[in-house]
Amino acid sequence: MKEIVRGAIVIMIVSAILLLINAKLNEGGGSAGKNSITVYNWGEYIDPDLLKQFTQETGIKVVYETFDSNEGMMGKVEQGGTAYDISMPSEYMIEMMAEKDLLLPIDYSKVPNAKNIDPYFLDLPFDPKNKYSLPYFWGTLGIAFNPTLLDGQTFESWDNLWDPTLAQQVVLVDSARESIGMGLNSLGYSLNSTNLAELREATDKLKTLSPNVKAVIGDEVTQLMVNGEAAIALTWSGQAADMMYENEDVDYIVPEEGSNLWFDNMVIPRTATNIEGAHAFINFMLDAEVAAQNADYVGYSTPNQAALDFMDPEVTADERFYPDEETRDHLEVYKNLGLEMLGVYNELFLEFKMDMK
Amino acid sequence: MEKLSKLPKLYLAVVFVILYAPIFYLIFYSFNSGGGMSNFESFTLEHYAAVFEDTRLLVILINTIVVALLSALISTAIGVLGAIAILFMRNKAMRNAVLSLNNILIVSPDVIIGASFLILFTMIGVKLGFASVLISHIAFSIPIVVIMVLPKLQEMSPTLVDAALDLGASKRDVLTRVIIPFIKPGILAGFFLALTYSLDDFAVTFFVTGNGFSTLSVEIYSMARAGITLTINALSGLIFLVTVVLVIGYYAISRKTKSPLAGVRK
Repeated sequence: MKEIVRGAIVIMIVSAILLLINAKLNEGGGSAGKNSITVYNWGEYIDPDLLKQFTQETGIKVVYETFDSNEGMMGKVEQGGTAYDISMPSEYMIEMMAEKDLLLPIDYSKVPNAKNIDPYFLDLPFDPKNKYSLPYFWGTLGIAFNPTLLDGQTFESWDNLWDPTLAQQVVLVDSARESIGMGLNSLGYSLNSTNLAELREATDKLKTLSPNVKAVIGDEVTQLMVNGEAAIALTWSGQAADMMYENEDVDYIVPEEGSNLWFDNMVIPRTATNIEGAHAFINFMLDAEVAAQNADYVGYSTPNQAALDFMDPEVTADERFYPDEETRDHLEVYKNLGLEMLGVYNELFLEFKMDMK
Repeated sequence: MEKLSKLPKLYLAVVFVILYAPIFYLIFYSFNSGGGMSNFESFTLEHYAAVFEDTRLLVILINTIVVALLSALISTAIGVLGAIAILFMRNKAMRNAVLSLNNILIVSPDVIIGASFLILFTMIGVKLGFASVLISHIAFSIPIVVIMVLPKLQEMSPTLVDAALDLGASKRDVLTRVIIPFIKPGILAGFFLALTYSLDDFAVTFFVTGNGFSTLSVEIYSMARAGITLTINALSGLIFLVTVVLVIGYYAISRKTKSPLAGVRK
């Protein structure tokens, strides 16, 4: 008994010491500081030095938290246990959050740096007139491939994936809108098609891809491509950048027929308590030099036109990540099709998956 | 113990290799100066330095350990008392009901526990953060401790308690001098199991973290979206080290308890 009590006391003392160290490391951060904002962002999606710089410039402390899915993020914002002042959802999630009245409108008088954003990325269907959101990073959906594992195939269009020599080589992403969307795009239809005949045609076309499909998986595809275990993958430009960073052989293209344009955007959730600070943060992140530094660190494409001048010209001239006007014209942002239509997409995708093998 | 013949030995070796290979692979590459896990360039400690330079990561690491220690400690205390209460319950139907309720909590999915905690905390106005994480970890550890302690209690002969009472021991003495020493191995096992459960829990923790308080599992999940970086390898290496120390500590303690002081043991 004595030993148990002694053990318990030791544990409590150790915990107390650790908590003290933590308080020291935090230096009055956390919720202690009065003038602070809480930022809720994807993991590894900001240059940590910029948070320090922001605090130095404005005196506002940043409490930083991360999430790994749009849905999980919205769940926590909706419940309101934490007063998040800034979050970075993807485009479709902004639409849903706006519908549920979870967002505060942006006061543009406090965000002068909004002028730095390329107008191409503004006023899009998911948030007309950018009432609630400003773009943070953007990208495309395309084909990542490793030429060293293929004999001479090149990729310009989606149809190249159907090449009979590519048996068991293509890795698809396990997501209905992306995969069915690829079928739609390859037939020249809109990604936001709600026409059942078109969707059926796209699914049937996708089914003929089956012999070439190696697997239908999620984020694990990055590792497969890096290790050279997969040769071709349908993937987002951000993920492709990660692959290329670790394996120089990997290349990426946006097919000429068109593709999806995706966004992550800064918003102010309704739970925000420091609205002034949130605007200051958005304005700070939109500063040309800051955005350039952040894009360098994260490796995704920045929508900040002014920032491009501060970046490595080799990067900004890379059409795989900063596509030219013509490719851009073919890009489409997902519209919220409603639950019912989403069900149809999922059903068709399931049908495709079951048809494999 | 009888000596193992060759075949079972080989089998055992293969199993251990399969179990440990991924961990060693991961730790091996945490010393890689190259960017990724595809080829090993040269030895470096920079990824470990990166862990210690990143104060945010360090704070999260300490958070995780503190929550694990405290939640294991508190849940062990509550769980042991609960197990004793279950043992001495007169009404058999009642005892079975309590035991089943306990077991249901063990098998019920973490996501559901996490979501219901989130709803509860926001409803009664508990601020998400250290307290909410600690409370939920205590909650899901208690049933585990009960399950670990109960068999030990049932193993104990009831005559032992009667004898102690006959010899004039007070109820308190019976608890502290007879029952607790007897079930000590169960208590230790419960404590360490609760500790590891708390260390690696993601599903429940994700829902109840907030206000800048986070734990490693939640952080690593969101980091991994951008591909596994070698910093994660280094961090995992460190945690593996902590786990090894814990296990060795556990054996040291449990060996000690087996020796003389347990005078009541058969």
